[in-house]
Parts: sequence; C-alpha cells; structure tokens
Amino acid sequence: MTKQTLWLLVLAVTLLPACGVLAAQDERVAQLAKEVGGKGWIVCASRGENGTWDLFLMRPDGSARRNITNTPDYEEGGPRFSPDGKKLLYRRFTKGTVIHHDLWGFQGCLMIAAPDGSQPVQVGGDREFPWASWSPDGKQIACLAQKEGIQVIDLETKKVVRQLPRRGIYQQLFWSPDGQWFCGVANARMMWTVVRMNAQTGELTIVHEFQSCTPDWFPDSQHIIYPSRPAGQPGNHGQGFTQLWYSDGEGKDARMIYGEDGYHIYGGALSPDGKYVLFTRCPQDGGGSERSGAPICIMRMADAPAVAGLSKDLRKVHPQAKDAPVLQLVDGWEPYWTYAEIGAQK
Amino acid sequence: MKVVSALILSLVVLSGVSCAKKAQKADTGADAKVTTLGSIEVTAQLEEIPGEVRNDPLYDYAHVMKYKMLQVHRGKVDKDVIYVGHYNPAKPRDGVADARVPQIGGNLKQFRVDDVHRMALEVPIDDYFMGGIINKYFGVVNDPIYWAVWTNRVSK
Repeated sequence: MTKQTLWLLVLAVTLLPACGVLAAQDERVAQLAKEVGGKGWIVCASRGENGTWDLFLMRPDGSARRNITNTPDYEEGGPRFSPDGKKLLYRRFTKGTVIHHDLWGFQGCLMIAAPDGSQPVQVGGDREFPWASWSPDGKQIACLAQKEGIQVIDLETKKVVRQLPRRGIYQQLFWSPDGQWFCGVANARMMWTVVRMNAQTGELTIVHEFQSCTPDWFPDSQHIIYPSRPAGQPGNHGQGFTQLWYSDGEGKDARMIYGEDGYHIYGGALSPDGKYVLFTRCPQDGGGSERSGAPICIMRMADAPAVAGLSKDLRKVHPQAKDAPVLQLVDGWEPYWTYAEIGAQK
Repeated sequence: MKVVSALILSLVVLSGVSCAKKAQKADTGADAKVTTLGSIEVTAQLEEIPGEVRNDPLYDYAHVMKYKMLQVHRGKVDKDVIYVGHYNPAKPRDGVADARVPQIGGNLKQFRVDDVHRMALEVPIDDYFMGGIINKYFGVVNDPIYWAVWTNRVSK
C-alpha cells in the first residue's frame, strides 16, 4: 500500500461518517421543508434587486418567493400580518435610511396594505404611530411614545381610545393575540429587561432580565419568545452570543430554544399554531438590519432546546440540547408568519 | 544692581504669567447653552459613577451618576444629592449628540469622580430619553432621575 493510498483511506474513514451525518441532516431538513411548505406564508424584509429593503412573501419552505413592495425609492421593514391575516402593517423609510435594529419602530411611516402588499396606505407622517402593533381584531393599534406612553389608537378614526404610562418600556412593544397584555423591553431593575404589561391596569411583570430584547408573543398569549445573551459566556471577547429563549408571562420557566456559538439569534417569531419557530442567524450582533439581514431559519419547537455547530461553550451549559433540523431560507430581517392563504401572484 | 533689577522684573513677569494662567483656568462653566437649555441649571460635584462606563458602538444608553449639589442657578432642586443620567458617557460631551438624542452637549471631555460640573437638566429622565438606562440606584433611591442636557466642566 503506497503512502498516498494510505492517506486516502484515512481521509475516507474520517469523512464518510461526517458525510453520513450531513446526508441524514439534509434528509431531516428536507422533511421539515416538506412539512411546512404548505403552511401559509412568511413575510420579511430583504434587499430587493433595486438594492433597497423591500418586503417579500414566500412559502415557509422558501418557494414562491416574490417581492410585494418593489419600491426603488423607499426602504420597507418590520412587516406583521394582522391576526386574521387580512392586512399587513409595516414601516416605510426614505431611501437610504439605515434601519436601526433597536429604533426601527420609531423610524419612517406606518403603512397598512393588503397581505400581498397591494393597496398600501400611509397612516400618518414620518415617525408617527411608533411601534404600531395589531389589536386582536385588527381594528386598533398599540403604539409606544416617549411622553405619551402606550396609546391604543382606533385605526378608522385615528383617535386615541386608551392611554397607559409606559413604565420604563422603551422599545419593541407588541400586543398579545388575546389583547390582555403588552410585551416590550424596559428599564426595570436593569436595562434590557423583557417585561409583560397588563393592557388594562398597566401592571408590569419582569419576564427576563439582563441583555434580553425584541420579545414577541406565542399564539397562546401566555408565553413570550425573546433573544437573550446570558452572562458568563467566554466567546465573542467575553461578550457572548445571543440565543433564542422563551418564558411564560410571569417570567417563570425560562428555556432556551436555539443557540449557536458564533451567531446572534434574533427575529424570533412563532408559527400561528406555535409548532414552529422563525429566527435569524447573524454573525454580527443586531440581526443585520443595518446591512442586508441574515439567513432566516425555521425549526420545530418540539426540537427545542437545540444547539447547532461546534458550540463548545454553549454545549457545556446545555448538555441535553438536541441537534435539530433547521431549514435555512434567504437572508432577511424580522420575518413573520401567517397561515392565511394570501392568494396567487399578482 | 542691574542684575537685581532684572531678577525682580523676571519674577514680576513670571508671577503675572502665572496669575494669568490661573485666571484662564478658573471657569464657572457658564456659557450660552448651559444657562439657557433645560429647565434646571446647577453646579454639582460628581460623587459616584456606579458600575462600568460602557463604550459599545452598537448600543446607546444613559448612565445614572450621583452628584453633590453645590449651587442651583435656575429652577428648583431641594436635595443635597441628585442623580443625573448622562447619555453615552464614554464620549466627550461635544461629540455625544446623535440622531437619537440631538440636543445635548457640553465641553466636558471625561467623567471623573470629584470633578465639578455645571449642568443644564430636565426631569424626569423618562420624559426626555427613551432607551436603556444603567441605574444602579434602582430600588435603593426613590429620588427622581435628572436628564443631563448640557454638561460643562467647572474649574476653580
């Protein structure tokens, strides 16, 4: 046996199991894609061919992707379907605006359109209706402003129907599907705390403290999903990486959903039945809104907690984490999911 | 005699220069901005900067610091100690204003305990700043948190 043959043999013995694992993973990912492919639509912001941020619709397996705004003179982002899937709200920014990963809800104009992006209507002027999020019936929005606090606004009349102090909440306000709660990011005992607020009384509950942000609701209105960067991680020069977590609304039972050393996980959102989770996986902190986003991923909630990649540090903290199949789609930012059927391409 | 005269003259000149330098250094911190901006204007001594002053280009925040009141120039402050939130305190005040917080500034280059500052303030901070606040006094002190609009260095 020549030296060269021996090397080839060693290489084959080393790589074959890895190839097998990859093939099995590919098979599991393909199965996941098949499973979610017909389950409604995902909307997200991505860079269009014109170079600006546009909104795109796609099937959850990434197929049938289409640009639904296609506005070379504007940037668009932050799309969210109304709970019945019949409307879409988003923010439209002047061309060239750098979309700030924390402040985007204060930037640009509120737009409301049909779910396929048609019939877009600008609601108010620049920076008005900040952090607008849907009421359960889609007839009102909740907004977050510095001095005005949290305002519930009737969309037809544009009148404020209810107002609450914001009690330290400073960004990323979202109304629960049952209308009973708001979640947001607040200065509570410390900054970067995810909180839940009773939408009637204003009572505040700390959900998760320390470097946690961009919360959103589970469909049951009882759980909140949020990215969090726990302390004590040695990676990223001691700053650590952001993982995707969830807790109940009382702040109990915090659990990691997905993490990967070397990547910051943001954009967490559930499928309407809560069985799947959307997120973005970005090597840079912030989720990529200032650039071109990051790969949008889908995972089964049943596969949580999951750790991907080598992730030596994270696996030490979560030794029981699973190796979940993760379907990676195109680069984007702030994806959102509806099971409503939006219809054929225009 | 000429030598003595020259010496005396030199001493007089030197002391004059020294006095002039001292006069240049003494500064009440008053300027057109600090005396007009905000609804409150004070001179106060920085007593404590609790926690680490962070310098993270990706995140902006205010850091609450403890001051001993020395003089109230405008507005009403009835405490001997006040708590003031400074925006992105790792940055010199003349370069701290940005799109998020455009109307702040001053000539202070660096926050150091024991230094005296003349500040234009607003209160409460939540009415003037909407963002992350490092407040190590949360739950310990119930006093209102002031928001620093303009911060100048005071030298005696």
